[in-house]
Amino acid sequence: MVLKDVVSPNKGKAFMLCNEAIARGAIEADVKVVAFYPGAPTSEILDTFSEALGSFDYQMQIATNEKVALEICAGASFAGLRSLTAMKSVGMNVASDTLFVLGYTGARGGMVVVMADDPHAHSSQSEQDGRFFAPNSYIPMLEPSTAQEAKDMIKEAFSISERHRVPVIVRTVTRVNHQSGVVELEEIRRSGFSRVRWRDLKEEYLTLGEVARRKKLRMIERRGSLEREFEESAFNYILGGDAEVGTGIVTASTAYLHVLEALKVLGISGKVPVLKLGTTYPVPRRLVAGFLKGLRGVVVVEELSPYLETEVTMIAKDENPGLRIFGKRSGHFSEAWELNPDLVAKGLASALAIPYEDKSGIIEEAKALKEGMPERYPTFCPGCPHRGTFAALSQALRALSASGKGYYFANDIGCYSMWVFPPFSKADSSLCMGASVGIANGLSNVIEERVVAVVGDSTFYHAALPAILNAIHNRNKFTLLVLDNSVTAMTGQQPNLSTEFTAGWREGKRIPIEDVCRAAGAEFVEVIDAYQVKENVPVIRRALEHDGLAIVVSRRECALYGDRRKRKRGERITPYYVDKSVCRKPYACIRDVHCPAHEIDGDGQPRISPELCDGCSVCSRMCAFGSIRRSGTEGERR
Amino acid sequence: MSFDIFICGVGGQGLVLLTNALGRACLKSGLKAITGEMYGLSQRSGTVSVHMRIGEDAHSPLIPIGGADVLVALEAIEALRYIEYLKKGGLVLMNSRIMHPPVETAGLVKDRSRKYFTLEEAVSRVKRWTSMVAVIDALAAAKEGGNPNAENTVFLGCLSALRGLPLDPAKVKEAISEVVPRGTVEQNLKAFEIGMRRASEALCGYGVCRDLK
Repeated sequence: MVLKDVVSPNKGKAFMLCNEAIARGAIEADVKVVAFYPGAPTSEILDTFSEALGSFDYQMQIATNEKVALEICAGASFAGLRSLTAMKSVGMNVASDTLFVLGYTGARGGMVVVMADDPHAHSSQSEQDGRFFAPNSYIPMLEPSTAQEAKDMIKEAFSISERHRVPVIVRTVTRVNHQSGVVELEEIRRSGFSRVRWRDLKEEYLTLGEVARRKKLRMIERRGSLEREFEESAFNYILGGDAEVGTGIVTASTAYLHVLEALKVLGISGKVPVLKLGTTYPVPRRLVAGFLKGLRGVVVVEELSPYLETEVTMIAKDENPGLRIFGKRSGHFSEAWELNPDLVAKGLASALAIPYEDKSGIIEEAKALKEGMPERYPTFCPGCPHRGTFAALSQALRALSASGKGYYFANDIGCYSMWVFPPFSKADSSLCMGASVGIANGLSNVIEERVVAVVGDSTFYHAALPAILNAIHNRNKFTLLVLDNSVTAMTGQQPNLSTEFTAGWREGKRIPIEDVCRAAGAEFVEVIDAYQVKENVPVIRRALEHDGLAIVVSRRECALYGDRRKRKRGERITPYYVDKSVCRKPYACIRDVHCPAHEIDGDGQPRISPELCDGCSVCSRMCAFGSIRRSGTEGERR
Repeated sequence: MSFDIFICGVGGQGLVLLTNALGRACLKSGLKAITGEMYGLSQRSGTVSVHMRIGEDAHSPLIPIGGADVLVALEAIEALRYIEYLKKGGLVLMNSRIMHPPVETAGLVKDRSRKYFTLEEAVSRVKRWTSMVAVIDALAAAKEGGNPNAENTVFLGCLSALRGLPLDPAKVKEAISEVVPRGTVEQNLKAFEIGMRRASEALCGYGVCRDLK
């Protein structure tokens, strides 16, 4: 990220990641309070605000989870301040308890919630379609296609929020968040930050029984006034086409960009009328009805569920009952996976009955060329402390299996998820944040084998804690490994409750995990150093055999975070090397470790790439012959 | 028309910075640019790809299959992994460096008769898609420039050697100076120059390169 572009007070243009443009838009809109829990593909919004914190006077918190982040923003909004949070849509599952109530209470200061879906599950556990949160909570929703539009929508969302006294969802998808483009910057004019007096503002933000029933009627009214406003919104527009074609397209989000590309590929740019929707809840029905009138057919192009298609179908039923609707239900597009220009071209060509040679031939040809090519699965970084922890755990689990006892391994969401992928391929389950511990509470009472669950430090606080307290209270017996690498590593090493820093790398109070567990009454709590593989095996074995809940906190900071700190201190990273005169090729350095820095040389001996090695020492601890040494210890340097 | 570049490599090789420099150079040249960036699940060592599209006509953040004018691979196996995005007869700029994924090494440990996938194999397969292939030892070039981490800027140099790239190399260099860490500007600009030269040498027979002074 180039911070200069985000904080520049002047008008101009910049090449920006959409997530940076979102932050810039909110700063231009004079946002006062931001709060986040990181999650791909939104994490760079948090990072941008954290980096820019020194240049502006907004308040920022990196929260325990998405629900707390949303509530921080709601609090600010109740006091009349503009606030923004961003989360992935599976994070919204956690926050939604509050979101639904905010639909009832409404907001005062402009409140914007960026919610990102991840079609194709690039970096999520599911392909959830978060759009349904909007109609379900009666909260309006905007959907941008580009970085520029995302920035424009963020600014407008604050105004909509204040006009209608309701939070506004800006819903993105991965291909919007992780899209860069040229963005127009407007002048930044900030008003100063000051506390407000609640006694001057006081109004009620509550809902229960009779109050809820009354407010529900107001929500329905509000939906009506939002819809009337959206009929005129500049975010919805029609690209005119040839009336004779008889078929139009309704689309939104990145699907709109794929449509433009596909029309170009098919040689019919400008010929087919396209309705691009930017306000997708409530859908402006009059606008859609006007577009559908006179058409013989309509193609609805959207990712995931047939959300817009359902709206279009309902509108067509009254306005144009004979209309042919092409979309998911007709089989022209799939509900699975993300769209791309080729899939959209194929679907459009079929609906419009024009010739198109799809790309399956070319894909098959490429596939044949790739035969035998190695896969490159996501894996632990060189120096990752999880590699050491899992090496010790593997040895302890093998011993357990050898003694005739089996185990169940519950993985969770974080960098340790990489243990699910080859060459490790270890896990019986992996669901969502903190679920490993909940599952262990259930399984440990119904299966014969020992249950082993793992969570990270950020996940521990985010969602695992209630399940851990449940285990202590109910005397459930299983083994829990908490992999404490000091930061939320998977999303880009943001500080969390286990870090001595918080947003903007300002000082924060670190909350030691073992203290929390002991204070809650856990009897077996051991802290180990992730790199000390040999010493850790007996500790983990004891934890596996303990007749009760056994918690092992494996601590060592994330290698990437640690490297950054080392560079700041001016420390060098010294790689290890294999002393070939000592190596006898048992490959203990590779088995259970599988570091990307390790390769097998032409002579069959392991070799460590000095460019990749992080100097963590874990592989050297696995070698019985002491053949792996730190560079410089025998005169050999990089 | 748009000029489409598919960029791929391994997490940690600096694709984000490479993309940012190209995008900034587009902005300086008054050109529209749009990208689709995929970082993958892991922070390092996974496969990473960027669709970089330059021109008014580029709408989608994704290049259609068989649509890229150039495929840039910072790692040799990755060139093959995304070959379907390249136009038939398009141009490939690929690193001679192979980073064998842990799963491949694990296979060799398990079965000692197995062999690694080789550079020669990767290049020969890529050449069945297109004849215009420049294999660049980017790590050596980066080291020659004084910074082994500058493989990404070596490839910015390679790209800038192409006459088809609608950007003035001076603008790319200007952009590099703005995005690389302070203190490494000189090394990166050196890497850029070396990259430009290496690509020109490798592709001299095809008439696709600018005349170097």
